[in-house]
Amino acid sequence: MLGFSVPSIVALSAPLAEAQAAPASSSAPILAPAVVLLLCIFAGIGTFLLLPSRRDVSFRRIGAAMVVTGLLILVAILAGTEAGMGVYFWIFSGVALLAAVRVITHPKPVYSALYFVLTVFASAGLFVLLQAEFMAAALVLIYAGAILITYVFVIMLASQTSPTGSSASFISEYDAVSREPLIGSVVGLALMGILLFVIFDRGNNLAPRVPPPHEDAEIVKMEGGTQKLGVYLFIHQTVNLELAGLILTISMVGAIVIARKRVVYHEGPAGRPEVTVAPATPIDDNPFSIPVFGTVKPGQKAYPET
Amino acid sequence: MAWASSPCSKLERKNLHGQDAHATVMTVLQLEHYLAVGAIMFCIGLVGFMTRRNLIVVFLCTELMFQGVAINLIAFSAFHQNLGGQAFVIFVLVIAASEASLALGLVILLFREKNTLDADAWRQLRG
Repeated sequence: MLGFSVPSIVALSAPLAEAQAAPASSSAPILAPAVVLLLCIFAGIGTFLLLPSRRDVSFRRIGAAMVVTGLLILVAILAGTEAGMGVYFWIFSGVALLAAVRVITHPKPVYSALYFVLTVFASAGLFVLLQAEFMAAALVLIYAGAILITYVFVIMLASQTSPTGSSASFISEYDAVSREPLIGSVVGLALMGILLFVIFDRGNNLAPRVPPPHEDAEIVKMEGGTQKLGVYLFIHQTVNLELAGLILTISMVGAIVIARKRVVYHEGPAGRPEVTVAPATPIDDNPFSIPVFGTVKPGQKAYPET
Repeated sequence: MAWASSPCSKLERKNLHGQDAHATVMTVLQLEHYLAVGAIMFCIGLVGFMTRRNLIVVFLCTELMFQGVAINLIAFSAFHQNLGGQAFVIFVLVIAASEASLALGLVILLFREKNTLDADAWRQLRG
């Protein structure tokens, strides 16, 4: 890694001017590898400081400032290329990435979920910029409308009560302290550096644009992206669409089987009615306990249903 | 490269003038911008997946990684003017929805077992 970064550190001071001068179709990379490396190290240290821990609040503020600064530098360098990106791209991507950072650094899971909703909305904006209007609507409906509501429900169901009783500012230990923040930041940001290097340095090797392979008359005559997508799905992806429905049904059945509870009412001591809660599907790893028709084994486990 | 508007307006302008259907919507440079956003979002989700200990937040981070991949797919779909990318994102959404329902059911089950959401409480699963 040092091999390519050391000589280009010399040219580090003028990546912005170089990028501005470079025409869009030139083969020079937008971001020098050393810039990508330094930005990733910078953002990695910021992420490490920002992750939940018992550290002082000022350290987390420094980390937040470092992450925001790294993002701003990246934006400044990329914006200098004048690639024709509208202002909405910068707004949506900036909001999405900052909210994503808050998702992984906020100690309270409810706030993480709400920041993820913000990320979803910003991504939907990016999808609209990419002419995928139907996918933007589907993203908002499915992610922000369905999945995130389920997450918030589960967070409320599985919230731990504080030992002292005051629950307003209580953060449990596993939320307040993250596991191996240094190694996690190093690995994640190293992957980010490699990905950004490949994208910006080898981007010219991307496959040349070819005419779409699905030039069916039914698709071409359609107006608007949503109609085209629907016709494409039902011409080319019919079986896959049915399989997607099947997968959703199976996962619904599986979720019911996993989380269903069996409530048993019975007489407790002193004649009072009692309620016992047990998993509806008993977890059983004994192969001999599977009841076989026609045989009665003494070791067979009694199922609640039998 | 002087037009500083969204790719959407470019396509509409082309279509209004009745030119070819394959209007120049994206350049390689713009594609790189979207790919960078997707990659950064994926890596942020990866960091969260490795460092957070709350099971629910861990699954939230996988959704974040799904988001990054979806942005990549949509960007390539717009770049190649191929609807396959959008269709792929539909299936990604299907898998994400089923994964979320199953994972949250498992989280409820695990929470009932140990009365905590700490992923380290299930350290014995590492073997």
